[in-house]
Amino acid sequence: MSRSAVAWGLAGAVVLVGMIVLPSQLYTGQVRVVTAVLMFVALAQAWNIIGGLTGYACFGQVAFFGIGGYATAVLMEHANWSFWAALPVAALGCAAFAALIGLPLLRLRGHYFAIATLGVAEGMREVVTNLGRLTGGGAGITVPTVGGRGTAWLGNDGFYLLFLVLAALAVAVAALIGRSRFGYGLRAINQDEDAAAAAGVNTTRAKVLALTISAALTALVGSAYAFQQVTIYPQRLFDVDITVIMIVMVVIGGAGTVLGPLVGAVGLQFVSEYLRQHYPQEHILVLGAVIMIVVLLFPSGLTGVATRSGMLATIRAYRL
Amino acid sequence: MSALAQATVYGLLQGGLLAMIAVGFSLVWGVMNVINLAHGGYVLLGAYIAWELHAAWGLDPLIGAVTGGLVMFGVGYVVQRLLVNQIVNAPIFLTLLLTFGLQLVLVQGMAVVFSADYRSIATPYASQAFTLQSFGLADVRVPYGRLLAFVVAVLATAALVVFTQRSRTGLAILATGMDRTAARLMGINARHVYALTAGIAAALAGAAGALVGLVGTFSPPDAARFTLLSFVISVLGGLGNMYGALLGGLVLGVVQAWAGQYLPGTWVNAVAFAVLVGVLIVRPAGLAGRAFYEARVEAT
Repeated sequence: MSRSAVAWGLAGAVVLVGMIVLPSQLYTGQVRVVTAVLMFVALAQAWNIIGGLTGYACFGQVAFFGIGGYATAVLMEHANWSFWAALPVAALGCAAFAALIGLPLLRLRGHYFAIATLGVAEGMREVVTNLGRLTGGGAGITVPTVGGRGTAWLGNDGFYLLFLVLAALAVAVAALIGRSRFGYGLRAINQDEDAAAAAGVNTTRAKVLALTISAALTALVGSAYAFQQVTIYPQRLFDVDITVIMIVMVVIGGAGTVLGPLVGAVGLQFVSEYLRQHYPQEHILVLGAVIMIVVLLFPSGLTGVATRSGMLATIRAYRL
Repeated sequence: MSALAQATVYGLLQGGLLAMIAVGFSLVWGVMNVINLAHGGYVLLGAYIAWELHAAWGLDPLIGAVTGGLVMFGVGYVVQRLLVNQIVNAPIFLTLLLTFGLQLVLVQGMAVVFSADYRSIATPYASQAFTLQSFGLADVRVPYGRLLAFVVAVLATAALVVFTQRSRTGLAILATGMDRTAARLMGINARHVYALTAGIAAALAGAAGALVGLVGTFSPPDAARFTLLSFVISVLGGLGNMYGALLGGLVLGVVQAWAGQYLPGTWVNAVAFAVLVGVLIVRPAGLAGRAFYEARVEAT
């Protein structure tokens, strides 16, 4: 293990310990806000693996979130599973789904891939909406948490810990992939897929594996989210805005890095929470303007500004 | 039998309108490899312009369509020149994000200004209809409003095709789409041409919005649906292929009308996406031919 890996590991451990004791210092409302931040840290890291590292702009990532959530709800409601059994099974099932759609879809490049995955996500929402018997349709499905059925609701602090574990897991997986041979293969695909293939990277296997890992992490978060919300609806669990928020967070922070999505998720979630509380009417409008400004001014991400002197050079390279 | 005929007629009429919405989207995508997620927002801006003109002075939606088209041409031009041109060479998710941000601003802005209520532009003739009696289909209705919208939409789409393939400016657009560097060396101002292309696309979208108001209802959240339908049609037709967009629009209109006729619930939306994903996997260059941007020479 290199020295920098040890240093980063130690820093991560310190932050993790700090995060574990944090809730005792906060009000309930604040714990909820930080829990949402942790959820988006995990989601942004998950998207970063396929979108940032591999360079495949998956615009249907929310499909994995929704499938994870609905698989958990259906298993708990109809099969009487406990949440702790449903969580890993939902993630594995979603990983299998991702591998299945990844094989044909990852042959597409650029916008075609983005739109095909968007189509899958929108299609999945319609499927879930129309399978009313299993999923409750548009009226939603309620996870059993009371009356001896299912698993007792975890409480605010419990969900805080659950999302903390998921966020730490996502960061750890992203960091491990980033330093591995597999991760270098993904970066090579990002820069020039034909050259990567010529250099001996099994591009199909690498891409499908990246999408599968990304989907499994996203499904874990979706599963926990469904349990936290208790009642879930297709409109919310397959909301395309969730995909876009993940992407915005990764881009703001810096795509393809481990630190970037972390910074982006924490920053954007706090900003959007502030806007929601202070400008309830216009907060989405302001959010849209913030997205546009960030894309135009920081196209290489906030961490890119700190590590690379070439921010102006990037802006110049991107313009016509 | 007559139910099928009615659904087909309805689908074709709707498909012509969809083609008009999508053809500009397809042109922008094909020429500059930019997916404009705010395209649906342009459609609705045009619809609200026509609605305001109708509410204020009782102007016919056709006049509203011309006005809306002209205003949206300006909007599209300025947005491209000032915003999108800044990141045309960036990785694709940056252009997608920029236009998504614009879409949020447009849709929420319209919701604040016009409220989220459903609106429509009422005309005395839109709901009048004739039947296809002379074809032996006495119970197939053809509403005049939809027929008018269809004719205008198809004429506008055809006009765009003739313009890009016959006029000097149109050829400059195509040349820039094929090889930007070479086009610039020939003295073409690429920044202006890109903005012009985006302006034309926005103008068609805005004018189509007025026709949407003529034949049905609209509300700000519809923007996302129009953008998605434009995606599907562009992919069906092959990018930048304007005849293809017309064909794709008609095919999608008919498929959706049939699905609405024979499938329960909201499966009709799922069908559109299934068609999209299926076409992408089997024939990514579209039904009508090869993709435009893929064929270009990339020189930097």
